[in-house]
Amino acid sequence: MKKLSSGLLALVVLFSLCVAAASVHAQEVGASTVEFPYTGNRTAVWVVAQLHILFAAFILGAPIFVVISEWLGYRKQDPRYDRLAKEITKVTVILFSMTAVTGGLFIFVLLAAYPQFTTSFVNQFYMVFAVLYPALFIAETILMYAYLYTWDVWKGEKKGRHIALGVLLNLVCLLILFVINGPTSFMNTPPKAEGVSPQDFIAAATLWDKIANQSWFPLSLHRIDGNVAFGGFIAGMIAAYMYMGAKTQEEKAYYDWMGFAAIWIAVGGSLLQPFTGLLLAYEMCDYDFSFCPYMMADQLSMFFEMQGMMIGLLFLAINYYSWLSVKRIEGAENVRMTILAPIVLVVLLPVTMWVMNSYWIPDPMSLAFLLPLTLSPFLLGRFIPQTVSARTVIKIGFIVMLVSDAVWLTPGGFVATGTDMPDELKLPEGWDYLASMPAKLSAILTLVFVTVVNYVLYNRTIKQGTILWGKIDFVSQFVLIFLAFVSTWTMGLMGAVRSLLKKYFHTYSLVSDLSAESFTPTLSYSAWWITAITVFFIAIVSVAALVALRPSVSKVREPEGSPVPVGVK
Amino acid sequence: MFKKLAIGLVVGGVLAGFAHSQEVPFDFQKLFFIIALIGAIVFMLLDARPVGTMSGGKSAFAVTAFWVLLVTVCIAGASLLPQFDPADERAKIDKLLGKERAASQKGKAEELIARAKALDEQVKALEERLKGLGGGQAATASQAPSVGDKPSSTAGASGGGGGDFMKVGEEQWQLQECYNCHKLRGEGGKKRGPELDNIGSLLTVEEIQQKIADPKSFMAEGYEKEWQKGIMPNKFKDLMDPKEMQALAAWLGSFKNTSVNTPKPIKKN
Repeated sequence: MKKLSSGLLALVVLFSLCVAAASVHAQEVGASTVEFPYTGNRTAVWVVAQLHILFAAFILGAPIFVVISEWLGYRKQDPRYDRLAKEITKVTVILFSMTAVTGGLFIFVLLAAYPQFTTSFVNQFYMVFAVLYPALFIAETILMYAYLYTWDVWKGEKKGRHIALGVLLNLVCLLILFVINGPTSFMNTPPKAEGVSPQDFIAAATLWDKIANQSWFPLSLHRIDGNVAFGGFIAGMIAAYMYMGAKTQEEKAYYDWMGFAAIWIAVGGSLLQPFTGLLLAYEMCDYDFSFCPYMMADQLSMFFEMQGMMIGLLFLAINYYSWLSVKRIEGAENVRMTILAPIVLVVLLPVTMWVMNSYWIPDPMSLAFLLPLTLSPFLLGRFIPQTVSARTVIKIGFIVMLVSDAVWLTPGGFVATGTDMPDELKLPEGWDYLASMPAKLSAILTLVFVTVVNYVLYNRTIKQGTILWGKIDFVSQFVLIFLAFVSTWTMGLMGAVRSLLKKYFHTYSLVSDLSAESFTPTLSYSAWWITAITVFFIAIVSVAALVALRPSVSKVREPEGSPVPVGVK
Repeated sequence: MFKKLAIGLVVGGVLAGFAHSQEVPFDFQKLFFIIALIGAIVFMLLDARPVGTMSGGKSAFAVTAFWVLLVTVCIAGASLLPQFDPADERAKIDKLLGKERAASQKGKAEELIARAKALDEQVKALEERLKGLGGGQAATASQAPSVGDKPSSTAGASGGGGGDFMKVGEEQWQLQECYNCHKLRGEGGKKRGPELDNIGSLLTVEEIQQKIADPKSFMAEGYEKEWQKGIMPNKFKDLMDPKEMQALAAWLGSFKNTSVNTPKPIKKN
């Protein structure tokens, strides 16, 4: 209950800060701002906001992950899923306090750095910040603690009731996500109408108009699947730590399994990420086309080059983990797959590039080519007698992934901005299709397809062989840590990109950022801060995991002996 | 292990060599070579012998070392890529926000003056009351200059007054980054918008201004899709003042290079 009260206290502090900000600064229009030492105001806000988003992403994503796991345990009658769900909930509860603390700190830093903007922004969304968000946060806190503390009470026949409570918790989490994404997306794409000035339109707009802006729904979708993936990768890292510290073979087997389960739930979210991300980018470009060149060809182009590298590494690592998992399955060498699988793997990238250049998705013609091609190994495979070993398919998949990465990483030119690119740095004609959007989409689609094929193959191997839990190559634990690092770093990078898209505005085209810091920082500068944020976040999560899970693996305490009177010895 | 590394080096070398023969810039050759090397590392890892379980202390050391490696690779990777010089953008933003910043400073100064004046009024009222009470001591206080009487040091925005009108137009072309979509004088543009070297022969200055203020007012021939999608942002009337927009239109109107095939604008509304 101490945790509950400290969480509520943090919330009260946050709420009072909001209200105080709205009332005090409304009277002091010309209030002077604070200058944060070393970082400057913009970076200070960015660092705290990004930290808050990472903690929030985990506490909103983990319950989805947890309830899926609990439900799987209930359905399969496998207690490991239940234990996994409970352990992650324990960590989530600790990180819940960190979310509230960083949230309060965020408001505080924002108020100190940009008092006038913060005041007007809070006033725009007063109902959200003063009523809806705190109410939902309190509801989430109560449900989260109820969910944890009823775990051992509502079991057996009452398990369904507990899962229902988990679902309710998730509904509240989703509501929070949708509600808070309103103001966040508003800053990028405030609603507008033709023939009316943005200021006049906003002055007349309702709260719903402001929340349901153009990037609100795609951002929420992107964050939902992102949070599931993120929750999974972080759970994978926790499993790796616990595996490394496990003393018994039984514990090793359990944490080996936990890493495996966490990663496959994360992969489910990751496979959707590129598509919801593209939807978000599409809506942003549709709102204002100048976002598009700014992202892809101008100041942020090398940020996307870095993103390509990180996503490429993420997919390579996921599939490498899958390979290591297959290696410890007895009988894996006998598993075979239709020859159509490697054929489709090889031809998918060039065919998709050709199709996307001719018919843009969702043109029915593009789907008419791509759907039968990608489904053919699964639908027609059984009618073709020629087969290939599972290992060969996976190795071909790796070559295809490397080629796709190369396509994804090929820009129009290796320059910081494409606006005044010298000819000698440009891709020559005939090669420039590699830098086109259809090529990038084809590369993503191919990476996703290879991962799906590996997943199918892995499932087939499990059915035909015997998994030796706890016997996985020790390197796999470093892969799990790597995945958590890369996904956190990429989230930090893309968070910076989304925020930088506002250019020199606090709210795009509506409220200018008049400070001297309202410019795009270099990628190198951003990378230092993103790395610092990632390291800090992962260090906190690691400590939380050790605090929450250590008792369950610690030695059973020796029973204390009966008190011995002083002086007897 | 060395065999795979050798294969990676050979594949990378062939790729880079082929790219070189096709006059692909050196950075791309490096990219292809690095990816081939990563491929070699991946295949070395795939067939590497399993690593046995490490003890607690050893794993803690290995994890720390791994973290240091990850941090180094991420920072180094990002720092090795070409870096955008913020000074370029800052110069632009200074020009774009100059007037707003000046107005904000002026607003703050005016507020301070207003407060000082209010204080001055209070002092005067107090003085009158003291005089009414028969005291002459307050007279000295009134001789002190009030803050409100100080000459304002607020620098007014120059607004380009007296400057070259055409230069203002060209500056707006750069500041609003029109070159991102339109090609002009052989520079910029990615086929998102029409090439504008002959726009002065096809539209009057007033019509160009109308098109900038309301992108739906004209449609360039062959750009039906872009026009329907509203690719050209409808924001420039809010970002430029009428004079700046007029200058941009006048500057664009001076481009009458008939050798360039600027698509014919069609009046829409």
